[in-house]
Amino acid sequence: MIPVRCFSCGKVVSNYWVDYKKRVEAGENPAAVMDDLGITRYCCRRMLLSHVELVDVLSPYQ
Amino acid sequence: MEVDILELSDRSAKFVLSNVRTAFANSIRRAMISDVPTLAIEYANIYDNTSVIYDEQLALRLSLIPLITDIESYVPQARCPTCGGEGCPVCEVSLSLSAEGPGMVFSRDMISSDPKIQPADGNIPIVDLKKGQKLVLEAIAHMGYGKDSVKWQAGIACGYKNMPIVSIENCDACGKCASECPKGIIHIEESGATISEEDLIKCSICRLCERMCEISAIKVSFNESAFVFTMESDGSYSARDLVLNAAKVIKGRAEELVGILDRL
Repeated sequence: MIPVRCFSCGKVVSNYWVDYKKRVEAGENPAAVMDDLGITRYCCRRMLLSHVELVDVLSPYQ
Repeated sequence: MEVDILELSDRSAKFVLSNVRTAFANSIRRAMISDVPTLAIEYANIYDNTSVIYDEQLALRLSLIPLITDIESYVPQARCPTCGGEGCPVCEVSLSLSAEGPGMVFSRDMISSDPKIQPADGNIPIVDLKKGQKLVLEAIAHMGYGKDSVKWQAGIACGYKNMPIVSIENCDACGKCASECPKGIIHIEESGATISEEDLIKCSICRLCERMCEISAIKVSFNESAFVFTMESDGSYSARDLVLNAAKVIKGRAEELVGILDRL
């Protein structure tokens, strides 16, 4: 799951995740999506950019 | 003391605070980060959790969700005049959550016992439940201070810099300073280099232009009694209320100090 807040500054970033994921999967440039969502600092941008969602990978082994 | 607001939205603000000393500007910044009490989930009674994340991880995720805080109706638990720290409606709020998969559980699914206290953002994903997975819990939120945990920190990326002053004299318009400026705010005209009034605030006082200038025509300094503040709120207060509450906290402390000195 995406961390709720940015590790460095504490801004809530997880509320953008569903929207971000949908738009990036639709082929938009991640940088343009983050600019549009108002994520300006590089600490917050790396939270979304570098996140790997593992819920679907782990759930069969519950 | 003068305040000149440059930008003000619900969650962020930018303003110039002038005719104050550095100590005062810094105390406002520190109060916004660590001394304004907010509500955050402190205990979670987890009755059922068959999701992919552990109970501890779940409690951490819940605690980091900012809750819209009413500073008038709640007090920090350690200082609660009614219960003395045991927990009562004056110092705590209960939020319950029960969900069954498949589907994502969001912060808006939590049901608060006080309708005024709600998650600041409704679309924070808590956990992704698969088919047959269940989540039943009750969470208790307390008032607390940012200095104790990040979950109670209302001010995000609060910072200030001194108001820059750039003076340009006898410029030969060589253009080296303009190409070196990382902010790109220096413009070259026939009469020499210029910086517009609104661009001046973007100057980071890096002094690269000063170093590049061979004839020392450009001088960068800063105003020691004017500060450009940038701050954001996590949503528990509006940006405006957060600054006002920070000022109230400092005022309260100063009054407390006067009271102690009087008793000596």
